[in-house]
Amino acid sequence: MTAAGGLISVLAGTVLLRLAITGIYGRYVRVGMGPLLVVAGVAMVVLGVVTLVRSLRRSGDAGAAEAVAHDHDHGAGRIGWLLLAPIAALLLVAPPTLGSYGVDRGAKVDVRAGASAFAPLAPGAEPLPMTLLEFSQRAFDRGGASFNGTPVRLTGFVAGAGPGGEPGGFRLARYQIACCAADAAPVVIRVRVDGAGTVPPPDRWVTVTGLHAPGGGEVPELAATSIVEIQAPNDPYE
Amino acid sequence: MLNGGEQGDVGGAPPLTAPAPAADAPAATALRTAPAAGRGRRAVRLDVGVAAVALAVVAAAALRPLLERLLDRPAVAHWATVFVAIAVQAMPFLVLGVTVSAVVAAFVPAGLLQRALPRSPVLAVPVAAAAGAALPGCECGSVPIAGRLVARGVTPAAALAFLLSAPAINPVVLTATAVAFPGRPEVVLARLAASLLAAVAVGLVWVAAGRDELLDRARRRPQRDGPPLAVLVATAQHDLLHAGGFLMIGAATAATLQTVVPRDVLDAVAGSGPLAVAALAALAVVLAICSEADAFVAASLTQFSLTARLAFMVVGPMVDVKLVALQVGTFGRGFALRFAPLTLAACLAASAAVGWWLL
Repeated sequence: MTAAGGLISVLAGTVLLRLAITGIYGRYVRVGMGPLLVVAGVAMVVLGVVTLVRSLRRSGDAGAAEAVAHDHDHGAGRIGWLLLAPIAALLLVAPPTLGSYGVDRGAKVDVRAGASAFAPLAPGAEPLPMTLLEFSQRAFDRGGASFNGTPVRLTGFVAGAGPGGEPGGFRLARYQIACCAADAAPVVIRVRVDGAGTVPPPDRWVTVTGLHAPGGGEVPELAATSIVEIQAPNDPYE
Repeated sequence: MLNGGEQGDVGGAPPLTAPAPAADAPAATALRTAPAAGRGRRAVRLDVGVAAVALAVVAAAALRPLLERLLDRPAVAHWATVFVAIAVQAMPFLVLGVTVSAVVAAFVPAGLLQRALPRSPVLAVPVAAAAGAALPGCECGSVPIAGRLVARGVTPAAALAFLLSAPAINPVVLTATAVAFPGRPEVVLARLAASLLAAVAVGLVWVAAGRDELLDRARRRPQRDGPPLAVLVATAQHDLLHAGGFLMIGAATAATLQTVVPRDVLDAVAGSGPLAVAALAALAVVLAICSEADAFVAASLTQFSLTARLAFMVVGPMVDVKLVALQVGTFGRGFALRFAPLTLAACLAASAAVGWWLL
């Protein structure tokens, strides 16, 4: 196990470094985690290289004491092979960001918790980029009075029509994560397409521009003026 | 000669070629003096392990189209993303825990930790539980450290109290809790009190009724001799692979439960008092969220009472599927099967009591 363990350690560290450097890690954990992943990846690579070098060296002088220690490693180290599964997979393919599959499976973000009264937006013709969370919170704050008629631009993925969805509209969603994708909870709004184009297929990322449509009930609504398909962003979570 | 042959065998794995030449010169001198028979046996063994790793990577490369097609299914993709997320999130903290554990093994003299704690186990338990506040990080790091403490002769009950309290009451976690519950300092206080209470209670129960022979796996861990740096590397490497392997089991279990069990099933019982506490405790066990993040999840579960959410935050860092897998690996199955229910009961009782008192 010793030499193979060193190699596994090097590979695992390489995977972490690759995720951190390419930015793919943003699909799984908070974007601020990058430096921590680099530190952990470097530590694992160094540890693995030192172990490899030492065991290659030791393979020459087979002392009795070393053999005993080596035998022990064999028993205790077998479980370490499990690390190979994600390494082998992640070196080649990276699972995607969370998509529409989980939207109706978990608890949604309660946008009314901790929401304060919003100051009205300055009226203007230029659409204002906004998170789905802020959009929802503003929609529930005095029926969306704080929008003040200002158009907004929202980015998220398409989550189908949803239960009771009408034709000519779709749900736009984006996950909030606190730490990693295991604790993700979606914010969901409804988009009325009307004349703005066609309904995009599920899991496609889009930027939607439009006006808040009051009176949507439980799910806030946006009346779209334009829908543009985009690449999934590097930081797919809010 | 022999070294050259080994390099050739693993030529398919690029990372190996970089370090190998560094080993060449000293190894060559060692080879000349070593007995021929032992050399041959060892070289074969080495090749099998390294070749197996290389083979696994090559096999995965060959299966790449299959992997990509699997990820086209939304449920599989969801599972894979959650699995990778837990593993990636935990890795830096596991590396930290393994490093601390290895530093203890390499540089702290055997008797020092015992002398630092009160001799009476009944006093050592609360002191060790309070000392948990000094270790920043989440629960993945504390398991190897507690295992090391037991191996170093610390009273098992005290090491267990430390294991439970460290991920729950350290400054990083308490700060996250304060951020998640703005304007509610009593939640932070309740979390601190209930977690300490549960950790001390479990430690004291272990003093009174625990069976220390269940911890034999941790006690029998190899105490490596030699220069401190060599011990540091050997211990860290061993612990990292060992704990990492069990972390994979835990992450896969949590991802499976998250993908298969709809959370609405648990949310449905949010209404009634004691049932809601039990439901959120079960949710904490199943979700296996990092203790630095669970406060944000708890804050979002607004349909539940504050006491139920307190139970979520007290149980999560002490009992969850990923943690039980790590404990099985470090201390043995017999231990984990007794320790997890005991801890869960203590967490529920402490949460109920503190919740009733403070919240």
